[in-house]
Formats: sequence, C-alpha cells, structure tokens
Amino acid sequence: MDAQAVESQALSAIEAAATVDEVEEARVRFLGRKAELPQALRAVRDRETGMTLNALRRRIAESADAREEELGRAELDRRLREERVDVTLPGDELPVGHLHPITQVRRMVEDAFLGLGYEIRDDREVETVAYNFDKLAFEPTHAARSPRDTFFLDETRVLRTETSASQIHQLEEREPPVYMVSIGRVYRRDAITATRYPIFHQFEGLAVDRGITLADLKGTLRHVMRALYGPKRAVRFRTHYFPFTEPSIEPDVSCGVCGGEGCRTCKYSGWIEMGGAGMVDPRVFENVGLDPEAWSGFAFGCGLERTAQLRHDIPDIRALWEGDLRVLRQF
Amino acid sequence: MLVPVSWLRDYVAVEMPLAELGERLSVATGVVAAIEARGVSDELGNLDLFRVGKVLEAAKHPNADRLQLCKVDLGEAEARQIVCGAWNFGAGATVAVALPGAVLPNGLELDERTVRGETSNGMILSEEEVQLSSDHAGIMVLPELAPGTPLADVLPLADHVLDIEVTGNRPDLLSIYGVAREIAALYELELAPPPGIDPPPDADEPLSIAIDDLAGCPRYVGRLFRDVTVCASPVWLRARLLAAGMRPISNVVDITNYAMLALGNPLHAFDWATLRGGRIVVRRAEAGETLRTLDGVDRKLAPTDLMIADGERSVALAAIMGGEETEIGEATTDVLLEAANFEPFGIFRTSERLRLRTEGSNRWEKGVDPHLAGQAAKLATQLLVEVAGARWVGEADVHAELPERPSIPYRPERGDAAIGLSTPPAEQYGLLARLGFDRDGERVLAPTWRARDVTREIDVVEEVARFRLEDVPFTLPTRRAMFGTLSRAQQLRRRLEDALVGLGFSETYTPSLRPAGTDSGQWSLPEPISVELTVLRTLLLPSLVEAARRNVDAGAERIALFEIARVYLAGDALPDEHVRVAGIVEGGFGRVRGIVEAVYRALKAEPSFERGEDERFHPGKTARTPAGLVGELHPATLEGTWGAFELDLAPLFAVSQEPVTFEDVVSFPLVRQDIAVAVAEEVEAGALVAAVREAAGPELREARVFDVYRGEQLGSGTKSVAIRLAFQSPERTLSDDDVAPIRERIVGALAERFGAEIRS
Repeated sequence: MDAQAVESQALSAIEAAATVDEVEEARVRFLGRKAELPQALRAVRDRETGMTLNALRRRIAESADAREEELGRAELDRRLREERVDVTLPGDELPVGHLHPITQVRRMVEDAFLGLGYEIRDDREVETVAYNFDKLAFEPTHAARSPRDTFFLDETRVLRTETSASQIHQLEEREPPVYMVSIGRVYRRDAITATRYPIFHQFEGLAVDRGITLADLKGTLRHVMRALYGPKRAVRFRTHYFPFTEPSIEPDVSCGVCGGEGCRTCKYSGWIEMGGAGMVDPRVFENVGLDPEAWSGFAFGCGLERTAQLRHDIPDIRALWEGDLRVLRQF
Repeated sequence: MLVPVSWLRDYVAVEMPLAELGERLSVATGVVAAIEARGVSDELGNLDLFRVGKVLEAAKHPNADRLQLCKVDLGEAEARQIVCGAWNFGAGATVAVALPGAVLPNGLELDERTVRGETSNGMILSEEEVQLSSDHAGIMVLPELAPGTPLADVLPLADHVLDIEVTGNRPDLLSIYGVAREIAALYELELAPPPGIDPPPDADEPLSIAIDDLAGCPRYVGRLFRDVTVCASPVWLRARLLAAGMRPISNVVDITNYAMLALGNPLHAFDWATLRGGRIVVRRAEAGETLRTLDGVDRKLAPTDLMIADGERSVALAAIMGGEETEIGEATTDVLLEAANFEPFGIFRTSERLRLRTEGSNRWEKGVDPHLAGQAAKLATQLLVEVAGARWVGEADVHAELPERPSIPYRPERGDAAIGLSTPPAEQYGLLARLGFDRDGERVLAPTWRARDVTREIDVVEEVARFRLEDVPFTLPTRRAMFGTLSRAQQLRRRLEDALVGLGFSETYTPSLRPAGTDSGQWSLPEPISVELTVLRTLLLPSLVEAARRNVDAGAERIALFEIARVYLAGDALPDEHVRVAGIVEGGFGRVRGIVEAVYRALKAEPSFERGEDERFHPGKTARTPAGLVGELHPATLEGTWGAFELDLAPLFAVSQEPVTFEDVVSFPLVRQDIAVAVAEEVEAGALVAAVREAAGPELREARVFDVYRGEQLGSGTKSVAIRLAFQSPERTLSDDDVAPIRERIVGALAERFGAEIRS
C-alpha cells in the first residue's frame, strides 16, 4: 500500500466533500472495514509500520472530524435560518402587575426619610378628640373641630384629620430623640372634586431632639422635596399658622411645568404648595410631659396623592381611587 | 381678604411693584393668591382717554327716537358730538366720557363711528361700563368739574386688588388698615393713623344699654343718629365695597360694612324706631325664643346663643346676623349703631349650631380686639354724618375692664437659637416695634390687636422668624441617636406588594368608607357626605368586587386587583383596626389558591388550608388559612369565575420564617419516591399530607400531591391520591434501607387514620 498516495487521496476526498454525508462516505472509503488502510493495519506485523499507519489513520480521521464539524455547523446554520420568525410579533403574554402610584410615592418618601435616619410609622386612623385635637393644641374655635370639616363618629371620636396623633402617642411612649414619619390615610369632610377627595394619604414627619432649629426644618424639607421632585427644584418657605407648631411655615416647590415662569398648573404663581410645617409648639411638649426649654423639634405634613399627581401629571385625584385598570396599568 | 390697593394707599405709601409686594407678603404674612386688575386698564395711556365732560347740548337724535345727540365739552378746542342711549341727564350735566381708542374693562375698544347717520365721537359712560357698580340704569352724572379733567383723578377707575389668604391667628389682617400696618412694618414705611375722627355730637340724648353677660360681650358701644337719609351710597364708597368683594346695599349698611373692612370690627345698624322700650340688652336667649334673621329664616334659639335684645325681645343674633324686623329700610330715619365686641367661642358655638357663617361671625370667631370698637364707631359716625346727613345725638359705651397688653418675657438669643439664624437684638426690637410691640426691659408688650395670638416667647420668636424667613439657612439636625430602618412588618409588606405585582396583580386604592347596610358591627358616621361613604368598612373584598365589576364593564381583560388597607372591627373605645391584603382575580379555585401559596412562599411561610365558609364565596370552593379566606367567589357575588382572598397581615407575617435558616440540601442526594393510596372521596388531600409529614419525621424533605385519580376499578366513593415524597439527610446518603421504615410508618399512619389502601 502506498501510504502517501492513500493519505493524499483521502485528504483531498475529505476536502472535496460538500456535505456531512459525503464526508461520511469518504470516511467509509478510506477508514471503513474493507478499506485499504484498515486492511493494511490488520496485516501489519512490525511496530514501526504500525505506528506510521496508525498515525496516518488518526490524521485522516481528524481531518474527517474537522470537515464534518465545519460542514455540520454550516448545515445547522442553514436549517436555523429557515426557522426564522417574525421578531416583530408579540411575545407570550405573561401577567404583569403594577404598584399603585400612591404606593410608589410612599416608598420614595419612606426611602428619603430612612436615608435621613427616620423611622416609619403607620398607626390607627380612628382617634379620640383628645389625640386628634386637644393634645395638638387646636384652640376650641378652630374650624377643624367643626363637624362641617371633620368626620366625627360621636363627640369624642373622629376619623383622624392628620397623622399627627401618631406623633403624640410616640412622644408619650418614649424619650426623645425621636425622628419619625407617619404615613397613612386621613379624612376631611370635603366634597369629591377633581382636586379634593375626603380620604387621602399624608406623610407627616417629626424630629424632636436638643437644639433643633427652623433652619434644620428648612434644610430637611428641601432635601425631601428634591428627593421627590428632582434636584433642580427651588424650594420656598412662607409663614403660616397651625395650632401645633410655632413658628409655622409652608413649603412651596418651584413649578415643574413652567419652571417658575407661571402657568395654569401653578395658578400663575410659579410655585406649588406642598403642605404644612413648623417648629413643635411648646404647648404640645407640655401636653406630652416634655420640657420645652430642654427639647425642640419640627413637624411637617404633605399629601401622597398630591405628590403622585404632580410627579405623574394626573389632573383628577379621583383617578387614584377608582381602581380602573386602564389607569393603573400605566404605572 | 380682598384688599384694593387704592384703599390701602389711604394708610400707607404703596409704591413698590405689586408683584414684589405680593411675594414679600406671601412669605412673611399670608399668601397673596392673586393680584387682580379691576376697572379700566392703565396700560399704554388708556386711562388718559377717560375724561370729565360737560354736556352743552342734548336733544333727540334726528333719526332715532331712543337716542340722544349731545355736544360735549371735553376741554378741547371744539366740543365733540356723541350719541347716547340714556335719558337721565340733559344739557349742563357733568358726565364721564371715554374717547375713541379707549379700551373698556369688558375689552371693547371704542372708535369714532356713525350711529343712524350721525357721527359719535366717544361714549358717555355708566357706572357699570367702568366696573364701578352693577348699575346700568343710566349714565353717571358727576358733580360740577372742569371739562377735560382726567376721570381717574375724580373716580377710582383703575385699581388692583390683592387677594390675601389670612390665617386663623391673624384676624387683625381681616382689615385694610391691618394689612397696611403689616406692609408699613415690612417696608419700614410710615403708617397713617387709623381712619375715623368723631365729628362734634349734635345732642346728648340718653341711651340705655345693658350687658347681662360681660363674658360673652365685653364691650358694647351704641350710638344714636337722627335725620338719616337712607339712599344709595356715593360712587366712591360703592366702588370700594365692590372691589373688596361686598355688595353695596344702602348708605347706612354700606357704612357699617366699610368700617368693618377698613378696621376689622364688624358693626350693625338698627332702625331705632323699631326697637321697643328704647333700649338695648345683651343677654343669652330665653327658652323657646325665636328670631327671624335678615336672610328671612326663622331661627330657633338655644339658651347658649348670645342675643341683642330691646326692651321686649331679641332683635339680633349677636355677632352673626341682625333680625329682619329691625333692619334698616328706605323709611328709616333714626339709626342705632352697634360697635361691640364679642367673645369668640360662644359665637363659634352658635354659628356651628345654626350652620350660619357670615363676614361678621368669621371675624368674631377668630377674636377681635376689644379696643377696636371705639375706633370703628368713630369711622362709622364720621361717614354717617358726612355721607348720610345724619345727626349724632347720643352715645353709650358699656364695657368690662378691657384686657391689658400681654407682657411677655423675651430673650433675643432664644429667638436666634430657635430659628438657627442670628439677628442682632436691636434689629429684632426694631421690627417688633414696627409691628406695634414695645420693649419693656427683659419683656415685650404685645399690641392689643395681637393679644390672642402673641402671648408667649415663642410667639414673639415667630414674628422675628417670619420677617427673616428667606435669610434662614438650610441645615440638617446634628443627629446623635437615630437610625432609620424599615420594621419587619414594613419589609414584609413591601415583599408582599412586590410578590403580587410579580403575579400580575395591579394594586388599587378604594375608599375606607362604604354604603350603610350589608356588614355588621360597623362604625358609622352620623353626618356622612354621601350615602356611598357612610360606614367604616369591615372587609376589603366588597370594594374590590365593585372595582372588578367596573373593569369588566370597561372591557378590561385578565383582571387581577389587590389592595392593602385597614378594616375597622368592633372594639372597645375605638375600632379594632387590622391591616389586610385582599385580591380578586379571574379564574377558579386552583388559580387563587396557587396565588396565595405563592404569596406565602414569597413571605417564606408555609400555608395551611382547611375548608372554609362564607356567604360571598362558592360553598364548595372556599378555604381558610389562619390569616383569612381564599376561594372562588359565589357567582351571585360576581358573575363569572373569580378567585378572591382576604388575609390579615399580622397572622400572615407571624408565620414568616424570614430570616430563613440554611439547610444542607447539596452535600447528600435526595431520594425520591412516589406513593399512591386509595381513600374515601371525602378525605381531603391536606389531611393526608399533614399525616404524612407527622409520620415521616425530619428526613422527609417534601410531600406534595401530584395526582388525584378516580376510575372504575376503584369503585365509586373512592379516589386515588398520589403523593410525591423526597427524603434527604444533611449528614449522610440515605439508602433504600434507610427510607423503607419511614415509608412503612407513612403507609401505616395513612391506613390507620384514613383507612387508606396502598396502591403503589
């Protein structure tokens, strides 16, 4: 047998094969049981010839494997190309759920305050007049004490008008320092309109420590407003009045629609009212047994619906309460 | 509070741009919600086109019976011809004229035009056309003035009105003078003395005024006037009231309103002739008494209501509204003016009880300075004499001891510490002085008009703070001990929300108040705003059922909703509030049970189900976990096949194994075996699995029903339940010999407890 001739014939046959089947044919022709090379191998008697022929067989086999893999891959690719799909068709419909925008905003608020080291509280919604009004130093003639403004269950029990009662409970139960935010539903006796709903969510913060200042309140509120509305918003503070804080202020955020130039959203003032705030009134400290000379603090409250409306440009607050999937699935 | 700037300028020189004033007041005093231009626009010389004219000739238009053709002298070289539709004037009258080019408040731009063949070179104006009143019965006839005089010099043609939101602690700002005082303090401007100078009295008739209840009415100034001519107020007075948002009625009533707006002390005027016994008594209402108030409503009075009475009966609901019988009318000639002071809480109580709130009650509720009544009486007296031709013939001023100015210890450094900004003491005392405070050594004396609001050091600090609010820096508390982490319940709640969202649910919020009726043990509102929002809910699910129904009606598909909120159950002093999660989803029992299992798994908890029952649910497809109900809804609750659940969060979170303890499930292999047993139809799978777990011991890793088979060879009333078992030990590889006795224990337990026959 002419080993060299066999090798060159085999390799060129493998090289010439155009399909995996042709490679297989060549493999049978040169390495099959009846082929010349295996026959010769079986007849070999001396070690040197055996090694030479075995090496030859290996080279042919490797060449066939390589060619087969090359052609196999090309054939697979060709077949896969025929399985091509319209990638612009929709995929399987998997269930996709949605967190309500109020919850999304609630989490943002929680995270902003967790970052500042505040605890988060969610406390009872039905309160006594003592905790909802008296201990918060609402004067006897304050409009909120009227059943026109507030939902009373009877003379002593109300649906809370703000989450502040939770703060009174906390201040009674533990020693300062206290840094907390209460989040939950509150109730006001307002007719349902595009901008008002008798049930809404508030987040109210309270910081009580030694040496807390009005400047700390301004800094905290600016941080939170920017966390909610973006770092570039201007924040303005106006004097105001609340029974349970003194001095009292209200934060405004520059209008995100017009950037402060004045538009319909901000009623042409350039500012959007965000809620109420102030330094804890000494009467409130006295009502919970704390010395107002030793402790000071600030409190603030804002609405989650309002925040969600401003973030997402939702014109009608009722959309947040109707459970309409066409609305919910946007968020 | 609507504050016309022209009126403000009587008391303080407002020369700064109004936008800047608005910003300053918004920050330091009260929000200026709007600055509205009223009347004739003063832009681009428009105001100059409004002039005083003298009618030289006025005759019927040659081609129109209802029109007059006038020649009007406007101080120009030649008189102008003007066509006019009014007939309440003639030659010689002084009138107001708008020239061609003028723009009226309603936006109409005048030009020279021809009316029925005659040129009209301007317009003779009515009060309504320049927004001085709603009177369009005829044109304005002015007093004698030089023709050509700019109209704006003699009439309040153009004005701006500040709409200031006054907070409840500042009744002093419910007056033009009070706002002027605030502006003077903010801008360091001079403030005119308060308006009102007594004219000399005309006589000294005795006037009997008695106050039975000095606590309710600390002061009552009564003044008697005779020969009063009741008629419409002059245009300047009407214009001011209109600009300040009040409707002019008659000169006497307008004067009381004017004085209230100017100074903040509500006044009342009685027709003296209708008062019986010639005297005034301030007292509480008598049992069974009634009064018909000015609005024509008969009011049943309570003994707590403070009344103004004459010698025989009540004639006014003190501080809230006068009586109809004693009101000023056209025939009135003698007037009793009331300038009183009333204590806030009693007035608030009566106004609440009667649901009657007025301009007057609104001020009294907030507390009006008792020192103010005298000044208000002076202003009203001056105007009654000047405007209504009245003779002032008598006065009585009955009062308790008027309160003294609060004396408050004040430490300027305490102010700095509370504000977080240093303001030199001299500057602090300076701004306090401009607001009417006086320094008295270590104390300050608050002005009487702030006596209710400023009584403590912190109240004085607020005065400094609001003036310097914009300068206060932005800092953060220097925290010493605080830590912010979500509680375990808050962390699990977030996980629960996320799990449900992952399962395809959309979160919804529904009202906590429900219509009255269906649920028991509710807390209901005695005064709801609507029948839909009457009772605090004891279940979340009905709200979700309604939301699902609305979504069906809206054509939504793959509906899956959840809500996390409170329910309000019977409790002792207050409702027992529980936070719950409820969900509703299209699909049957298997789907909703799978969802609840997934929720438990997300919370690292093992659910346990037993048969449950509830009228809202399918009687055969309802389960109960320790946290609440899971099942298919009864078709009567909602048409179609729906799964629903309502679970209490507290028991749900209580079984959470978070944080999970690691188990070695890797080092040694799991041995899987299936077991199938034939049991009676009524044996529940849950009970079988529980028995398997109990019998197997710690090596049992998993026991899950994977098939239930019913067939002829089993016979009716029997089913085959196939359970997949997996055994594993964290210490060694389990052999078949290890598993065999466990399996035997399981088979034995099932046979003993359920009569189960092993099938494989």
